[in-house]
Amino acid sequence: MKILQNSGVPIYQQIAAQFTEDILSGKMKQGEYLPSIRGLAKELRISVITTMKAYEELEKQGLVTAVQGKGYYVNAQDSEMLKEQHMRKMEEHLLNAISAAKIAGISNDEVIGILKMLMDSGE
Amino acid sequence: MNIQSVIAMHNLTKEFKGFALNIPALEIPKGFATALIGENGAGKSTLINILAGIRLDYKGEIDYFNGEKEDKVIRENIGYTGPGNYFMPHWTIEQVGEVSELLFDQFHRERYERLCKDLGVKSPDTNKKKEKTIAKLSDGMRMKTMLAAVFARDTKMLLLDEPASPLDPLMRDKLCAMIRGYLEEGNEEKTVLFSTHNISDMENVTDYAIIMEKGKIVEQGFVEDLKEKYILIKGEKTDENRAEGILLGFEKNAYGYEGLCLAEDLDKLAGLDIVTETPTLSQISVAVMKKYTSLQVGG
Repeated sequence: MKILQNSGVPIYQQIAAQFTEDILSGKMKQGEYLPSIRGLAKELRISVITTMKAYEELEKQGLVTAVQGKGYYVNAQDSEMLKEQHMRKMEEHLLNAISAAKIAGISNDEVIGILKMLMDSGE
Repeated sequence: MNIQSVIAMHNLTKEFKGFALNIPALEIPKGFATALIGENGAGKSTLINILAGIRLDYKGEIDYFNGEKEDKVIRENIGYTGPGNYFMPHWTIEQVGEVSELLFDQFHRERYERLCKDLGVKSPDTNKKKEKTIAKLSDGMRMKTMLAAVFARDTKMLLLDEPASPLDPLMRDKLCAMIRGYLEEGNEEKTVLFSTHNISDMENVTDYAIIMEKGKIVEQGFVEDLKEKYILIKGEKTDENRAEGILLGFEKNAYGYEGLCLAEDLDKLAGLDIVTETPTLSQISVAVMKKYTSLQVGG
């Protein structure tokens, strides 16, 4: 896990984002426990409360569940929700591509052509 | 969050000539590292000394470990280090180990020896005859000896009065790691309370902050909450008169101003050309201290 101290993004958000990615990508499986709060704080050299806040953030998003005295485990991920999340991410990137194309005066047909080409070469 | 307290104080007072410690109520959260921050003479050491049982001439109640009454149990479970020297000046580092072993049931000699080596208090091949006495150690070395002695015990709470001050940057980093390790090993049952002027060096190990001024608690909270309570504001020269009354720790320079704004007061800055940032604990502390200090600073 890579934590940036001065990136402007709060450290707890960086931690939450990395776990979110690991969970949604399936790298962390359902039922798996997150590292202990104080253990992760020690490893990442950050305060306990920052780690705690990151885990609470994940709990709020419904990605993990807290068990008193045991820690936080990964929830079963709804496959519809998972797809939705990825869809949103994809749209975001496509919108970026479209706005870049507009700035450079690249036509819609050209953009679609490039997308097709990329998708073909990716297979 | 279900947070318990490890020490709870009630109507704690102590009067000196020209200074009074006055704490109506204060709880130290269990399982976390709490920093006590404040100017010289704010009452940090007085408070720590009272909690450590070094100073007994106070009024008020202190509850330890959720109702523990047995003095010996409390003493065995609290470790203290401070700027004063409580080892005899003619003792050697070896003898500090011997005496600590006699004083405390849960003192681990081999852990003490290992910590002394880790912290560089003792070189591995020291000849016993050449060993330095406490009186001949530098302030930093003496603090490291005290830390080794206190971390060599099995305790539930550490009270560290200015542990970072005499240490070099490398050792401060090591101290932070030791505190994190202690909290991890305690798994919610071990607590650290330390006072410090080196807020930025200790920020990454601070969970809860208590800011004192003139014997009173003027601000306290979990660091992540304080960072949401206050917002760091920077703005343009032309607006400085409007912003001055709203911001804490207001500072102006030739090109603009900056200060902390309570998140709930952010509306009052509407219409001003500003940028906002999350403040560090150090910035929060300085702004709060400026608000309450009697000294003329900044401006």
